[in-house]
Amino acid sequence: MSALSRRPADEFYDLFEAAIANAERAAQLLVQMLEEFPDDQDLIRQILLTEQEGDRITQALIRQLGDGSRPPLSRGAIHKLAGAIDDVVDYIEEVADSFGLYKIEAPMDPSVALAQVLLDSTRQLGIAVGTLRTGESMSDAIIEVHRLENEGDRLSREAIASLFAGGVDPMVVIRWKDIFEHMEKAIDACEDVAHTLEGGTFDA
Amino acid sequence: MSRTDKSPRKVVVVDDDSGFVTVLCKRLEQAEWQHVVLRSMPPAEEIAAMRPAAIVVNPSLLGAGYWELLQTLGESLGSVGLVVCSEQSTVAQRVRGLRMGVDDWIGKPCHPEEVVARVEAVTRRHRRVEADAAADAGPLTMGELEFRIDRYEVLAAGRPVDLTKREYELLLLLARSDGRVLPREDIYQRVWGYAMARGDRSVDVFVRKVRHKLEAASPGWQYVHTHFGIGYRFDPEPNDASATLSLVAPAAVEDSAVDTAAPLVAQ
Repeated sequence: MSALSRRPADEFYDLFEAAIANAERAAQLLVQMLEEFPDDQDLIRQILLTEQEGDRITQALIRQLGDGSRPPLSRGAIHKLAGAIDDVVDYIEEVADSFGLYKIEAPMDPSVALAQVLLDSTRQLGIAVGTLRTGESMSDAIIEVHRLENEGDRLSREAIASLFAGGVDPMVVIRWKDIFEHMEKAIDACEDVAHTLEGGTFDA
Repeated sequence: MSRTDKSPRKVVVVDDDSGFVTVLCKRLEQAEWQHVVLRSMPPAEEIAAMRPAAIVVNPSLLGAGYWELLQTLGESLGSVGLVVCSEQSTVAQRVRGLRMGVDDWIGKPCHPEEVVARVEAVTRRHRRVEADAAADAGPLTMGELEFRIDRYEVLAAGRPVDLTKREYELLLLLARSDGRVLPREDIYQRVWGYAMARGDRSVDVFVRKVRHKLEAASPGWQYVHTHFGIGYRFDPEPNDASATLSLVAPAAVEDSAVDTAAPLVAQ
């Protein structure tokens, strides 16, 4: 698309697509970190960089509003969607940070499964955000995000319940309960993005 | 005697006398002991998995067959100091207990400080005996590896292998298992001292670390073998033999009396 044919809303779509692509990258890095843990500690740093990139994109969106550009949806909806996507990355970063903070020695299988659900959710959100520009239906992607959120809930509940099976080191229980809960919050945050997308009124 | 080993010491207290236990725990904390308080007696293997230096037990919680239980504890806990702290006892009971494996017997009322001192005395004696036994036993040699148990050290072809404490304990546990396959859950219980949470990959991660270090230190040998879905087996094999091993794997698995459904993979 040439610069001349760009609509004012395209600047916003660019930033939203960059934000959700950044969230997907953060989730992809988390999957990789858990699969390879603890061999590549640099992945934790890379996830931190996505969190900083997320903040930069959110600020750019808010600046764009201040520039007088005509947004494709209400200012409130822009703020809400930008914040919801930013929350996904923030929770992912908190999960990664917990591994260093709690001196985790090794991952657990349910954490890898939850990270994969999270990655799948961000991919579906990428599809949904892409429809803002094209005007296509986002309903399939949104339905899939809701399904993944239910799957995340189930995995998280089972993982936390298994920690209390008896005889497990109380420190392991404390650390991993916290990590599983943060992973669930990250998946819930994806659903919040989906809700925001569903509820927003977008004007080309 | 001052301690030179700064690793935390753990004592298990099996007693339901809450007032006594509360004061005892405070004294134990002051003496830098970790403590686990139990109101009933678990199986001896659960106590062993906690890897305490000593256990203080009130025999009234052991039920009618407490002599048999005390004997079992004395025999199965090996290097764990066994201190009985009883409400009332006769000379004959104390003598019988001490002769069947109890390390010390204290009658209540007693001062918790004295209990702590006796626990320390018992564990001190055990450490001396263990150190002497390790020195007498000499190094354990397997493949190119030489375990110097009295020094918590492993040499590969005469050069020290840089292992953390947990890596050393894991390798020694596998090496002492006479070529048997140890399930992940058992390894975790015995090295970490707790039950393994479902899906915990700690054992796999530490085996991987140990393998990398052994590959660097003793490149001509393979030591730790994976049994998928089960756990690990220690069996030093020169690398030349590994190709042959994979060809004869099913027979080898049958011979070693492990789950024959599990494929055998050398490293």
